[in-house]
Amino acid sequence: MRLSDLPRRTSFRLALRFFLLFGTASVALCGFLYWETRNYVIGRVDDWLVHEQSIFSPMDRDNLLQRLSAHLMSDPTLERPVTLFNPSGRRLAGSQLSVPSSIWASMPFDTAFRFVVPESGHPMLFRGMAQRRPSGDILFVARDMEAAHEFSEVLIRAFIAGGIITILLGLAGAVAVGADSMRRIDAVTGAVQRIVNGDLTERLPVDGRMDDLDRLAEVINGMIGELERLMHEVKGVCDNIAHDLRTPLTRLLAGLERARRRAASAEEYGAAVDEAILDTRDLLQTFAALLRISEVENGARRAGFTDADLSAVLADAVELYDPMAEAKHVRLRFVPVDIPLLMRGDPNLLFEAVGNLIDNALKFTPTGGTVTVGGFDRDGAIGFEIADTGPGIPLRERDAVLRRFYRSEACRQTPGNGLGLALVAAVVRLHGMVLAIEDATPGCRVTISQRKPEDGFRHGGAKRTPSGSDFEIKAEPIKGIA
Amino acid sequence: MTHVLVVEDDRQTAAEITAALNDHGFAVDHAATGREGLLKAAAETYDAIVLDRMLPNGIDGLGVLSTLRAAGMDAPVLILSALSAVDERVRGLRAGGDDYLTKPFDFLELTARLDVLLRRQSAPQPRETMLRAGKLEMDLLTHTVRHAGRLIELLPREFLLLEFLMRHVDQVVTRTMLFEEVWNYRSVEPTNVIDMHISKLRRKLDSEGSETMIHTVRGAGYRLHAPE
Repeated sequence: MRLSDLPRRTSFRLALRFFLLFGTASVALCGFLYWETRNYVIGRVDDWLVHEQSIFSPMDRDNLLQRLSAHLMSDPTLERPVTLFNPSGRRLAGSQLSVPSSIWASMPFDTAFRFVVPESGHPMLFRGMAQRRPSGDILFVARDMEAAHEFSEVLIRAFIAGGIITILLGLAGAVAVGADSMRRIDAVTGAVQRIVNGDLTERLPVDGRMDDLDRLAEVINGMIGELERLMHEVKGVCDNIAHDLRTPLTRLLAGLERARRRAASAEEYGAAVDEAILDTRDLLQTFAALLRISEVENGARRAGFTDADLSAVLADAVELYDPMAEAKHVRLRFVPVDIPLLMRGDPNLLFEAVGNLIDNALKFTPTGGTVTVGGFDRDGAIGFEIADTGPGIPLRERDAVLRRFYRSEACRQTPGNGLGLALVAAVVRLHGMVLAIEDATPGCRVTISQRKPEDGFRHGGAKRTPSGSDFEIKAEPIKGIA
Repeated sequence: MTHVLVVEDDRQTAAEITAALNDHGFAVDHAATGREGLLKAAAETYDAIVLDRMLPNGIDGLGVLSTLRAAGMDAPVLILSALSAVDERVRGLRAGGDDYLTKPFDFLELTARLDVLLRRQSAPQPRETMLRAGKLEMDLLTHTVRHAGRLIELLPREFLLLEFLMRHVDQVVTRTMLFEEVWNYRSVEPTNVIDMHISKLRRKLDSEGSETMIHTVRGAGYRLHAPE
């Protein structure tokens, strides 16, 4: 953080702008106050001048002269001078006021005006009013404005002092606000730098003030968390693809090499080629399954969404897998729902997901066990559950089994590519559904459900809700664990 | 000899398809662009056309297809596409396609489907109420099946499975075709489960000691062969 950066900071500029605005407003206010006060004082003086004139004007000459002499006695300091001049400007009676000749020449009558008398020492400021009497003499009434003038000066000085304090406080405030946001932005920038450099465990600092910057930081932290999860997943997928494909490729290569070395007849070569073809087909199927998962995850299949009947899909899937259950001596039980379970979705994908789950359940259920499939429409959600009497899935693996290629130690020996449940998870996510894995004591129960939209017809999972239904699948298994 | 036009822009894929179709006993012409495909289709009479959905330079697969249909050519068209979404398939079929195959595919799948299309073309099936194959009889109205007079009890799905096999008697039907036509779902077919349904059906059909009527075609699917 450098002080020279300060003028470029938004918050500093904002503070400065506010300061300028308030400064201008205060200056205008002070000016207005000053102007109004001054006008008020002058107005009062002018009223007084008119009043004095009105006292003197009806008097006859003798009476006037007498009053003026008396006035001279009562006001020797020329605070309120009243003087009678003859038309040529000579003082006839009253205060010892000498009106400068420059003013005398162009003196207005019956209206107040301001004039300066260059008295010995310092000039004196007056406001006066002249009246021409019928005799041609001029009666001049004035008032010393020194006190009013001093008051104005005090006012101006106070305004200037106030202004300077305001400027200093304002600047200091702007610097403080700017420096605070600069410190926080610098902290955020530093964190982002570290994230860019590859440390995805870093998070933006949150002050706990819950202001704009905190809220932004929290949203971004959420995004980084999701990115981190995805990065882990991608990395895991890459590792797993490399690992899982190396085994069949090695087997393929070994088979071909053995044929090259040992095969003597066309039949033996043919058998080796057939084996290689089967292996290659398996590999291609694994790739196809991977591509399918990406396709589903990208939402490309959302175009196939119609009003699907979940109960029909469940019935069809159970019927399809019945011979497999029979062959394994496992009871495949279907608990039908009386009403159709309508939802927006792709029946083909739903069928595949249900099929994968049944296939999985059958695979892990020992002879004599039961797999139960049922749909439901309860508590404002529709969905289905598949329960088996197999060994169940340990708590710590319930998240992991949904990842591509994840195969627990327990099922290393069972055939499969480890992509079935990943596809299920992708389909569930595409439909905005929630997947939960729980204990069925014994065995495990997978529940997949979708909240029914409250307003009229369903939008299905196609719509991204602000609450981020995409993340629910991540949160739900954790809830199961707790 | 069956004459097939392959419209496919990728040289290598085209060469593979041509080789596979030749091996199957078809004569094959190849066109690399939609334009060339249209010119060839206009100049020659083909029994079937294999058409890539995505073609370079102007006219794409669907464009070729609608032009062909507008010109009154009714040869069956099988669309090949890398796009697997359901509505892509619907668009292809709506434009006049007869079948839709998603890449990558097995060549056995391709030839099996072409066989079905060609058969359908040469012998349009009337609305019949009885299907017969050798000693096998299926009554579509009463939903009963008899083999050499013996009544065979079938589950509804087994009935549909056998009906499809009987409609394509002596032809190779792939598991994908069965899954799509009998179960009516379009996704990755669970191979082993379909095999189990077939073996259950087989057990019900075949009497003691006789040779099975549903033959497994290695790497492809099944063929119903019912001797007289």
